[in-house]
Parts: sequence; structure tokens; C-alpha cells
Amino acid sequence: MAPAPNSSGGNAPREEASLKVPVKDPKKKDEKKDEDLSEEDLALKQQLELYVERVQDPDPGLQKAALESMRHEIRTSTSSMTSVPKPLKFLRPHYGTLKAYYETMAESDLKRYLADILSVLALTMSAEGERESLKYRLLGSEGDIGSWGHEYVRNLAGEIAQEYSKRQSEEAPIDDLMELVQQIVAFHMKHNAEPEAVDLLMEVEDLDMLMEHVDSTNFKRTCLYLTSAARYLPGPDDVSVLDIAYMIYRKFEEYANALQIALFLDNMQYVKQVFTSCDDLLRKKQFCYILARHGITFELNEGMVSDDGDREALQEIINNSKLSEGYLTLARDIEVMEPKSPEDIYKAHLLDGRASASASVDSARQNLAATFVNAFVNAGFGQDKLMTVQSDSSSSGGSSANWLFKNKEHGKASAAASLGMILLWDVDSGLAQLDKYFHGTDMQVLAGALLGVGIVNCNIKNECDPALALLGDYVDREDASVRIGAIMGLGLAYAGAQNNEVRAKLSPILDGKASLDVVAFTAISLGLIYVGSCNEEVANSIIFALMDRSESELGEPLARLLPLGLGLLYLGKQDAVEATAEVSKTFNEKIRKHCDMTLLSCAYAGTGNVLKVQNLLGHCAQHLDKGETHQGPAVLGIAMVAMAEELGLEMAIRSLEHLLQYGEQNIRRAVPLALGLLCISNPKVNVMDTLSRLSHDTDSEVAMAAVISLGLIGGGTNNARIAGMLRNLSSYYYKDASLLFCVRIAQGLVHLGKGLLTLNPYHSERFLLSPTALAGIVTMLYACLDMKAIILQKYHYVLYFLVLAMQPRMLMTVDENLRPLSVPVRVGQAVDVVGQAGRPKTITGFQTHSTPVLLAAGDRAELATEKYIPLSPILEGFVILKENPEYTEDR
Amino acid sequence: MLKVSVKWQKEVFPDVEIDTSLPPYVFKCQLFDLTGVPPERQKIMVKGGLLKDDADWKTVGIKQGQKLMMMGTADEIVKAPEKGPVFVEDLPEEEQAVAVGHSAGLFNLGNTCYMNSTVQCLHSVPELKSALLQYRPSGRRNDLDQTSHMLTVATRDLFSELDKTAKPVAPMQFWMSLRKKYPQFGQLHNGVFMQQDAEECWTQLLYTLSLSLRSPGANDNLDTIKALFGIELVSRMHCQESGEESSEAESVYSLKCHISQEVNHLHEGLKHGLKSELEKASPPLGRSAIYIKESRINGLPRYLTIQFVRFFWKRESNQKAKILRKVDYPLELDVYDFCSSDLQKKLEAPRQFLRDEEGKKLGLKVAEKNAAAPKDDDEKMADAEGSSNTNGESSVASSQDAEDTQLTGVYDLVAVLTHKGRSADSGHYVAWVKQEDGKWIEYDDDNPIPQREEDIVKLSGGGDWHMAYICMYKARVVRM
Repeated sequence: MAPAPNSSGGNAPREEASLKVPVKDPKKKDEKKDEDLSEEDLALKQQLELYVERVQDPDPGLQKAALESMRHEIRTSTSSMTSVPKPLKFLRPHYGTLKAYYETMAESDLKRYLADILSVLALTMSAEGERESLKYRLLGSEGDIGSWGHEYVRNLAGEIAQEYSKRQSEEAPIDDLMELVQQIVAFHMKHNAEPEAVDLLMEVEDLDMLMEHVDSTNFKRTCLYLTSAARYLPGPDDVSVLDIAYMIYRKFEEYANALQIALFLDNMQYVKQVFTSCDDLLRKKQFCYILARHGITFELNEGMVSDDGDREALQEIINNSKLSEGYLTLARDIEVMEPKSPEDIYKAHLLDGRASASASVDSARQNLAATFVNAFVNAGFGQDKLMTVQSDSSSSGGSSANWLFKNKEHGKASAAASLGMILLWDVDSGLAQLDKYFHGTDMQVLAGALLGVGIVNCNIKNECDPALALLGDYVDREDASVRIGAIMGLGLAYAGAQNNEVRAKLSPILDGKASLDVVAFTAISLGLIYVGSCNEEVANSIIFALMDRSESELGEPLARLLPLGLGLLYLGKQDAVEATAEVSKTFNEKIRKHCDMTLLSCAYAGTGNVLKVQNLLGHCAQHLDKGETHQGPAVLGIAMVAMAEELGLEMAIRSLEHLLQYGEQNIRRAVPLALGLLCISNPKVNVMDTLSRLSHDTDSEVAMAAVISLGLIGGGTNNARIAGMLRNLSSYYYKDASLLFCVRIAQGLVHLGKGLLTLNPYHSERFLLSPTALAGIVTMLYACLDMKAIILQKYHYVLYFLVLAMQPRMLMTVDENLRPLSVPVRVGQAVDVVGQAGRPKTITGFQTHSTPVLLAAGDRAELATEKYIPLSPILEGFVILKENPEYTEDR
Repeated sequence: MLKVSVKWQKEVFPDVEIDTSLPPYVFKCQLFDLTGVPPERQKIMVKGGLLKDDADWKTVGIKQGQKLMMMGTADEIVKAPEKGPVFVEDLPEEEQAVAVGHSAGLFNLGNTCYMNSTVQCLHSVPELKSALLQYRPSGRRNDLDQTSHMLTVATRDLFSELDKTAKPVAPMQFWMSLRKKYPQFGQLHNGVFMQQDAEECWTQLLYTLSLSLRSPGANDNLDTIKALFGIELVSRMHCQESGEESSEAESVYSLKCHISQEVNHLHEGLKHGLKSELEKASPPLGRSAIYIKESRINGLPRYLTIQFVRFFWKRESNQKAKILRKVDYPLELDVYDFCSSDLQKKLEAPRQFLRDEEGKKLGLKVAEKNAAAPKDDDEKMADAEGSSNTNGESSVASSQDAEDTQLTGVYDLVAVLTHKGRSADSGHYVAWVKQEDGKWIEYDDDNPIPQREEDIVKLSGGGDWHMAYICMYKARVVRM
């Protein structure tokens, strides 16, 4: 309603109105209707009516004056967003008359003027779907579009989108539209409305136009909007959107951002371009750190870095050879170097009375659990209290050997390999310490040592290729456990490397007469090495290996790792899987559906594709009676696909809750694992509660999966609540050796690297997904689908696949010589700033620390000093700081 | 001649010369001088694998200035210890039970939790176990009926089976014998066995055992069960109207804790239970009159059984209804107040001794705080003494030389049989038994669950949680 100014509106305007009325408006017929209008409004209304009349006057001069005045009235009042501007409101009854008159007018400037006004009037008048605003705009004078206000432009943009799709279907020309789009985009880009501009361009499928309109003030917001919108776009639009973002970043020399997008697209060509177009060595070093965190193998060549010495230094960063050093610096800074024993983690003294009886007899199961806990907790620290204790000269072999032999049979393999975990990333000392296990006669110890070599080299590349040199010869040994140790070791050491030499060693095993377990681990290792490569040769070898298996072998739980190996080849590659998926339809029916689900979920892992999630949910809705196993992978698949972005993740958690209530037992067993994957190293309270409830489930396999998942969601967080839950579970299940084993493993995971590590395959503010990390987690989860047959049997070392996902969750700032540099940083909860104008705060509830600092899930850091400029837009992992030349010390 | 640099662990040896005319073994010997790693344990990474001792340098393809990596240590080779550790998983079942630290649970055979919990409670009495072990399965005495004999044998077998394994036991044989002896336990309701009153089972079982475990040909005094559980009472009957008084002696197996509005604690309940009114014919009056019966304990057992009279026959609902009132009971019970003056006199000396012992212990602990090191030896001795006198070991001793040990009237709680539910013939019975190592185990049929001592006294009722029905206390004895 119009305000009633009578009470306090003052006399001046009223007088003015009363003066004008008799002069300018002789007709006062419908005064009754206007009774509730204020005098001002009345005056305006009458004035406008006068204009309308005059527009229809035959005198062009009068017409023009009337149009000008009308235009003036409209323009001066269109700024309001909340209600229809008054001039428009009062002109509504005359829209029809003006339209009719327009049709009768002869072609002239005046006609175009009128079209402009009609176009604006159509903003409120035009019926839904008529697009008259656009129609008259195109007929109009093509003047400055922005002069009519934002609302008009926005409306026009909407009509253009509709018109565009109509014309596309009719194959009509769109040139006139595109001209208008140009104007609108330019207007939006100048007025902080980048999202609108991008939306319009996406509707008219001409994102390239964006390039002309971005400038240094708006490209950041534009790219931010593009990258976050890409997650919700169907292919191939998402790729083209990211391409544009990449181009814009490159145009403005934000190479680090461009590199992030290149990695997201998995486009090595773009990565190379970034290196060739940037000529700042220091920034290139930062790129190398980003590549190293992503965990891909990348060779620099002369085109990218010309100087040999520099190239070597950069390659060293990509090879992650300084990771161990940085991690230990962090550990020393936080003062957690002191090794921890499994007892420090179990904290049995907090469980008074209950089951804390230290049994007089060693339990092999519990010792094995302690081995894993010790390995996980002390991972990467290079010292612990069981394996690396300095051997006394008096006692032969020292206590390290003692602990090793406190494990039974295959347990010794995991124990020997745990040494690799403790010395993680430290290739030099790791290989030296593992050497002593190479010379014994115990095959299990040797197998463990081989696996340990693989673990030490995980995520680290070395030009001498020690892992291949050491493990290569053992791949063809007689003893199956030694073979598996070497094969798995190679898989871990060369994950993502696509190394042909390794393939030459491994592929023949698939064709040979090796036992099922050897073949299964070979398939997984090949899958890891060629993860996401779509390599046909590897795919074919695995397919043939699958076809060679007898029906009884295919029924074995281990046989299910073969399809997974195949799936890993297509991890996140979407459609590329289709040919292989077709082939899989010819497999033996025992494995066919399982294979189908595995391939589907791997191929769409990390894409957030809603249709695939629905497809997988559909498979879970069926009730099986033939004991098929494909629903487990389907449930995991939901998590793999949906984990891509926050919104889909929340929805997946809810869908899984439904599966839990209505699903059959085989589905319920997989649900906790899927939850574990969705919230890995990110203990969300609601998921924690669900898992805690499931950890007491009557079905022991559901309970086991829930317990392991509690470990996964708490992975490396030291989360006190999960630790407490697990402690209580340890007393609740003190009698059930299998469940207790799982509880111990979970306890080890929660304190992973004493809380310095994360298992999250997503990094760089949840933007990039490290394929090797995801592959490692997924492999371990697949093994957990049949806990009793794999992890609780002699293949417990599959737990070491998690090493692929282990990364320090730190922010380590280094100076230009790559030496640690301590600066104050603010760390707080990240805030979503997509589509917000201005320079909004990016973190909330922050605290100021000095680097190096730990970052929890959802945390973001920003420098609290102007003294330095970070070379990476995202403060995670290693960040090089450059001195700010413009910085001047206060005082 | 080629010069290469060799990286070994964290060290780098620059400019190591290779004479390509000699086999790589010579090069390894060079490195042996530098690192001390014997050639056979050196692993040198070259293109395509490890450098072999007899390889041809030309095919290896070493370049001037190349960096080689060597792995190997002079560390001692790890040898397996001659005698590996013994793992629980490898042990036979009997030993696993020892490792677990408590005996096995009992499977529920269909509403037999009353029986299971009774058995678990009685199973915790070592003296009863040893007495049963001496029972000859073959030699049935003539005065004993066949069914009692069978039940005794079944009990004996069940007890030993419980000790042997860590896995739950199905008490099939025992259950059959019990039903044969006492057909009321075989009642069926809708085709399944009915829940029964645990107290009835407890009483009947003890009665049978008292018959069978009687030493052959001897008198009542050698009745094992009586020695363990029997409570001697002297009762004074007093008729207010006629003023007549009489006294009688009786022996019971349990004291009753009556629960009324005023009773909040076991002590009050016992007092209540020892005093009763009854109507009987009074010869002087020539009609029936109200007599007051007051009982006192004249002889204490090794194991004092106390039954909370929680169930009463409710005519309206035709079932044994339950009193849910909360009645606290202590972990340590002193029954001195309930004893007859004769017995009180007898108890004086041992009680004084016990007090002294405890006082000494406490006193020493105070002293320990004041003066530290020099008293070490005394302390240890006193501690050892104290523990042997007060703790579980005394029970073992007592069975051997009962003469030396004296009862004190002080009792420690060792087993609680609880009931959850609203009537005796429904709900669930569970046994909570203190183990020799002082830990409590809740035997919920086949599922033994460790519990904390402070949770045991919380079973005192006042809600729908488990509440104590029968408590078994063990006498604290002193050796004078």
C-alpha cells in the first residue's frame, strides 16, 4: 500500500500537487477509485495518464516530450526491489492502449522509444511465457540497458534464456539475442552480479563470451562461481565451465588456481601449460607442492623448467622426498615425538574393574591388533616402542625381534610390514631398517619386509626406483605369501605411477597358474598403479584372469577383489568404463552383477552424479534370495559417488539411514562402511551416533563394520568422544576376540599418526580428490565387506592399503629457500563465500596460531600478517611465503 | 674408470671409482670398506633391478657421475627365538578358561535362568565343589534314593565342566535330574517349561545335597552342607496372655529378610525376620493364643544365605507378586547383633583379634606416610599377614584345618542372585558372583559379563532393574 503522508507528510508537496492538478489534468473522472491514494500519488498517476494520452497525440513534438517524461518517471523510480514501482503500477491499465497504439505507429525513432517503454512495462504486465519484455526490447532503441535498473535486466535475462531454448528447438537465428546477451553480461559483470552473468551465459551456451568481460576486479568471484557451479552441472557442461575458469585464471596469471582446476579435470596438458606459461621459479615450486599433495606422478621436462639444477629441485618436491622431513618438523613443533605404545591408546586404566585383567598368556589376535595400533599411531615418526626399540647388545636380536615373534604365523608379515609404516616416507632409513628382515629364513617375515618396502615408498618417488629393484625379484617366488608381499608392495609404492616396468612384472602373474589370492592381489596392485588411467591392456589382463577363474573360485570372497582392480582403472572416469562394463556382462553369473556394481561405482566415484546414486539405490531396494553379493558394492558405491560434495553427502547419509531400516542383512553390513567413507576423518556427530548404535548391533558383522567405520570417521582426529566410545566397546566386547580386534584397529585409526594425519582423499578445501588415496580406502573397504574371510583371516595386511590415503593434515609455511617459517595464521571454520559480493570473511570462529598448525576437517587458514604473501591461494600442506614488498613495519 | 656417487642411508659417498674391467663384486668390496656392509648383503639399485655380483658393467649402463643407491646394513639378522610364545588361541579349552579368569556361562534351556543362576551362585563355593568331588558316583548309599543320587552326580559333573571350559555349557543332564527329583520344576505352560522360583530351586538343591553329601554312617554333625550353610537358631516362644515361655532350637539354611514399610536396610529386615508372631494352641489357656517368637543365632555358618522375602502370594491375581521396595545391603555384613548371648561371648575374642589386625593395618599405613623407607620390611610382613588372614585364602585354609580358624560374625558378600520382573514365576534371574581375584561377574545365562563392585550394591531394588533376591555372604575368619 502507498504510505499515507497526510498525517505528517508536510504541507509543501500537498500544495504543489493541488497547484498542478487543475493545470495539467482537466479530467477527474475516476476520483472515487483513487480515494485511498495520497495526493502525491494521485498527482503522479494523473500525470502519467496525461503522458499516455499525449503519446497518442498526432504531434511528434508532443509525443516525444511525453515519452521522454514517461521514461524519466520510470527511470527515477525503478530502484525499488520490494514492490512494483509506482509509475509502473499506474501505467498498468494503459499497457493495452499503448501496445495497440504502438502497432499503429509508423516506423520512427519515436516508435522505438515507445518500444523501450513497453519493454519495461512488460516487466510487470506481460503474461507468463509471453516474453513481451524481450520482444519490445528487440524492437526498441537498443539504448543502455542498465539505465532501466537491475530488475529489468534480470527479467530480460530470464526471458532470453527461455527464448533461446525455443529458438534452439526451432533452429531460428539467435544473433539479435546474443547482442542483447553481450549487453547484459557486460552490465552484470560491472555490477558485482557475476553469478547472474555466468548463469545467463550457461543458458545460452556461450561461456566463451565471459573472457571479454572479466577483469582484475571480478575474475575471482567469477571463477569461484564457475568452479562451484561445475559440481551441479551434467557432463559435458561441467568440463567446459571449468575450462573457462582455467582460461580466466591463466589470463590473470593466477596459475596456482589454474593448476587446481587442471588437476580437477585430470588434464595433464593443462598442467604442462601452467608450468610453461609461468616463469617464476618460486611459484613453480609451489605448483610442485600442489602436485605432490595430489599424489600424481609428473615428470618435468626442459620446456617447463629450463635449468637442470632447478628442474631437479622441483622434481624432488613432486617426488615428495621432503614429506617426511616436513612431517617430523610438524611433530617436533607440536611436541608429539615421544613414541606411544598400544596401551597408551587403549587407556585400559580408565575402564575400572572391567576386563582390564592383563591376561597372563599372549593372545595372537590381540598382539596382532597391537601391531597395527602401534603402526598406525606411530606412522611416519620413525620411532615406536615395539618395533624400532634399540636392540640391546646383550639380548640377541633385541626387543624388536621379540615383538615380531610375538605374532603368530601370518601375523609376522603384518608385524614386519609395520616397520615400514613407522618409517613411512623416510625411504633411506626405512629401507635400512627393513634390511635385516630380508636375510632370515622365515617366509612370513620376508613377505612382511617386502610389503614394508612398499609402504615406506608409498606416495614417494625416487629416481633410483628402490622398490622395483628390491621387490621385482620376489614377485615370482614360490611361496604365496612372499609373492603377495612383493605384489602388494609394488602396488603401494607405484600407485598412480602407470609404470610400464612394474606392469611387465605383474601382468604375467594374471595369465599364469597362480593361486587365487596371488591373482587377486595382483589385480588390485595393477588397479592401483594404473588408477584412473583406463589402460586397456591392464583391463584386458584382468578380464582374462576373471574369465579363467573356475566357478568355485569366483564364489570366494577374495575373487571379488578382481573386479575392484578392474574398477580402479576407471576410477572417476565416468563414461570411459562403458566398453568394459559391456564385457563384464559376459562374466560368470556368480560375479557378473558384483562386477557391474563395482565398475559403476568406481567409474562415477567422486562425481556426485545423482542419477548413478539413484541407480545404485535401486539395486539396494531389491530383495535377494540367492545369496548374491553385489549389494555390498552398491552400497559402497552410493558413498563413493555421493562423497563429491557436501549437499549430496548429506542426502546420501539420509538414504543410508533408510537402507539400514529396510535393507536386508547384506546391505546393513555395508552401510556402516559407506558412512565411514562419506565422513572419513570428519567425525560428524550424527554419523558418529548412528555408528555407535550400530556398533552394538546383534549381527556381529554389522557391529564390526560399524566399529571399523568409527575408526575411519575419527581417522587421525584424536576425537575424544570416539575414543571414549571405543574404549567402552573394548570392555563390552572383551570376550569376543574378533570384535575386540576391530575395536583395537579403530582405536589405532582414531589416533593415526598421533592425530597429525588425515585419511580424507579430498584436499585443497575439499576441491581435489586424490585418486590414489580414494583407491586405497576403497580397496580396504571392499575387504571389509567380508571381514570374516579377509581381515580376520590371514589377509589382515589389507589394512595397510589405508597408507595410500594417509597425509599430514597440516599447514606448513616455508620461506623462499623452502625452510620452515613460522608465521601467525588464523584458523577457523570455512565459510561458503560463493556468489557473495564484496570481500566477505572466509572463516569464522577463528583462532590465531603460528605455523605449522593442524587443520581439522572443514577448517580454513589465512595469514594473520601482511608481511608475507602466500604463493598458493589455499593454505594447506606446504605453502611457500614470499615477502611482501609493500609491507612496512608499524612504528 | 667411472666415478659415481653412492647414497647409503642418509650418507652420500661422492666420487666412488668403478673399474669397469673388474666385476661388480670388486665395487661392492670397495663399498664394504666405506660402509662396513658385507658385499653379500649389499643391494645396489641400478636400472632394471639390483646390481648382480657377476653382471657386466656394459649392460648395466652406468654413467659418469650417476647417483647410485645402496641398501643394506651390517645389523644382526633377525632370528626367531628358539621357543616362541604360547598363544591363547593355541591352548586347549581348559587352559583358555584359566586365561579368561572366570568360569563359563550356562545356556538357557527354556526358562531355566532360575536354575542357572542358582547353580552359578553355589558353584562359587569352593568347599562345596571339593565336597562334591569326593562324592563317588558309583557308590550310592542305601539310604539315599536313586533320584537324589542322580542329581548329586549331575551337580558334580556340571560343576567340574564349568571349571574346565571358557565356552558356555548346556546343563542338560542336571536339568533332567532336577526335574526327575522335583517334578514341580517340569511344569509346562503352553507347551514350554515354566519359569520357577529360584529360591525354591536353591532350597531343594541344598536339601538334596545335604542328604547325599552326608558322610556315610556318621551322625548329623558331619553333614557338609550343614557345616557350610546351616544356621543354628534358638527361639524363645512367649505368650503374652498366659505368660508361658518355651524355647526351641532349629537349624535353617537361610535367614529371611522380611520387607515391610519400615524396612530400608538388610539389617532391619533381618531383625524383622527373626521376630514373628504366631497363633497356636496354648495348653494353659485351653485355646489358641498369640505367641511371639524371637529367634537368635546360636551357630554361624561359613556361608550365610539371606533371602529377601520379596514374593508373597497375591490371591487376587493368583500369583506370587513382588515387593519392589528398595532394601540396601552391605558388602560387609556384621551379624553380631542377631547372635545369642552365648555365641556373642564366643565371638568376642576373634572379633577383637580381627579389629586389632585391621587396626594394625590402618595404623601401619598411617605410619608409612610419616616415616618412609626404613619400615619397608615390617610393612611387607604385616601386609602379607593381613591379606592371608582376611582374604580369600582363609577359606582354603579353613577347610583343611577348621580348628585353627574362628568365625567372627563378620561376613563378606560373595554372590547375589537377582530377579527382574514383577512376579516370581516370570521375569529373569541372574547371578552376580565374586571371583577369587575380587572381580565381579554377572552370569546372565550363557553370557558372563564383568561388573564393578559398586554396581553390585545397586541391585537393592526400588525399580524395575535387577534386584537382589538371595544374597550369599562368606564368613571372615581369623586364625588365632
